[in-house]
Amino acid sequence: MKNIWLITLYTLREAFSRKVFIAFFVVVVLALVGFGIFGSLVKVDTLLKGLEGADKQAALNQIVYRIELMLISPVYGLGLLLAIFASSSFIPVMLEKGNIDLLLSKPISRTQLLLGKYFGGILVVFINISILIVGIWLIIFLKFSIISFPFLFAIFTITFSFAVLYALIVLSGVISGNSMLGMMLSYMIYLIISPLLASRSIIFQFIQSDFWQKIITFFYYILPKTSEIDKLTSGLVMNQTITNFQPVYSSFLFLVVVLSLSIYIFEKKDF
Amino acid sequence: MYSIEIQELTKIYSPGNPSKEVKALNKLNLNIPQGTIFGLLGPNGAGKTTLIKILLGITYQTSGSVKLLGVEDSYQIKSRIGYLPESHKFPLYLTGEEVLNFYGRLSGCDSKAIPGKIDELLAMMDLTKWRKTKVKKYSKGMMQRLGLAQALMNDPDLIFLDEPTDGVDPIGRKEIRDILLNLKDQNKTIFINSHLLSEVELMSDRAGILNKGNLLRECSIAELTTNNEEYVIHVDRALEQILSQTLIDEFKVKKSVEGVYSAFVTETQNINDLVDAIRNNQITLKEISLKKKSLEDVFISIIQDAEKEGAK
Ligand SMILES: Nc1ncnc2c1ncn2[C@@H]1O[C@H](COP(=O)(O)OP(=O)(O)O)[C@@H](O)[C@H]1O
Ligand SMILES: [Mg+2]
Repeated sequence: MKNIWLITLYTLREAFSRKVFIAFFVVVVLALVGFGIFGSLVKVDTLLKGLEGADKQAALNQIVYRIELMLISPVYGLGLLLAIFASSSFIPVMLEKGNIDLLLSKPISRTQLLLGKYFGGILVVFINISILIVGIWLIIFLKFSIISFPFLFAIFTITFSFAVLYALIVLSGVISGNSMLGMMLSYMIYLIISPLLASRSIIFQFIQSDFWQKIITFFYYILPKTSEIDKLTSGLVMNQTITNFQPVYSSFLFLVVVLSLSIYIFEKKDF
Repeated sequence: MYSIEIQELTKIYSPGNPSKEVKALNKLNLNIPQGTIFGLLGPNGAGKTTLIKILLGITYQTSGSVKLLGVEDSYQIKSRIGYLPESHKFPLYLTGEEVLNFYGRLSGCDSKAIPGKIDELLAMMDLTKWRKTKVKKYSKGMMQRLGLAQALMNDPDLIFLDEPTDGVDPIGRKEIRDILLNLKDQNKTIFINSHLLSEVELMSDRAGILNKGNLLRECSIAELTTNNEEYVIHVDRALEQILSQTLIDEFKVKKSVEGVYSAFVTETQNINDLVDAIRNNQITLKEISLKKKSLEDVFISIIQDAEKEGAK
């Protein structure tokens, strides 16, 4: 445990020594400041003129949820893309000749080493997303006196999306030793494959072959469902109740399988 | 008591892939007693780094077995081992003392003992004034000294150094040598890979010569340089015409220039046999001298002999 934590900690340091995370951080702070200024300009009372009592409260909530959604969408769009880009080099850097030899000569197992890197990457993203979301949440609280806890859960769903893709990045890093493969696969899943598979019912109108429908459904179930997890996040933000957790379970299964495979390959590899 | 025991160790990279297959180590046997400084010599690509990596579990052997400090599973005793890899890379965002802290903690050092150990090693390596400088600003020599300090953080009993004086200036080399000799006095075992023969000659007690994965020779440094002595003989007549062919073959007598010959004498031979033959043939022996062979000469001739053997 101590070993894993040590590697996690130094992965965090590695991340913050890099410009991309500083850039990310600056963007977050600027967004918060901008939103703060924008918020202070909006006159809530004029917006809700004519509404009274429960109606007024409901309308106010709707406005707040929409503002939250508007703010959070770029996070799981741009933020995740940036996080994938930044974290894709963690494993390749660790595997560089002269670095990995030294690490493996220490009393730390290969599994611990890889898990440390994995949790390190997740922790970096978790911290960044938390700052952003807690920041937005605080400003909304100060401005509208509305406390919406589900909004805070977005921290976990977005981090979870990243964790699933990051497992794939780790696997690609272990296999190829460079950052390109993992980055490309994650972008492909996140931007193309997952949204396509999520709306497979539309595709099925064009592909009537039972065989191909089965194949597509098969891939839908085994691949990460980042697109649906994003929708789930939006649902949380809009304070809707979530009923279908299948995308979370099946993506988690993908994460576990891919991470185990990475560890298995890493354990056997010659350096 | 042996610190390192290696039996029939073979390593084949990319087995079964004819275009890429490399036999990096070939049935290697080697035992290294505790408290020795052992120098493994060999040209580039001989398999020196591969050997250390297998000992440390960084690469896996194809067959054969190894034991470090009497234990087969190296994982258990890694906290008693120090290692300086060839062309090591440290996280560039760390300072010198942070590097030592990180690797010290990874080595399982007692966390209370770490700050004191860092001070001690930085002073020993003459890096104290650079301790708060990021390692990306370090010179090659400084990196090497920091690497050595890193390898000593956990007070190891067994130390592996892969080309430790690479890129270090002569004064730095002397300093590293002194540090290693000092460690030897503490009964630590040190295994050094080097292609620099003079370094090994000055530091080691024993040496091995590795070429293309084969351990060609393993003995003390003294044995290496005294065996197979070469004599230079000055005479007034042509030896090759007068002496018997058997004698010439036996001592590998060869003409260098007119009146000057070289002859080789192995352990089982006696130079007097040759001298007697020269005198019995009424040849005037003007001068005979032992040519002091450097390790380099020995090294080259051992490798060349092996290549000839291989070609046959
Ligand atoms: N990871 C590897 N994959 C394939 N071949 C390798 C690998 N590492 C080393 N080799 C080969 O094994 C041989 C021995 O290499 P090495 O142990 O680095 O030699 P040395 O340290 O003596 O220069 C070389 O032919 C080298 O090309
Ligand atoms: Mg080498």
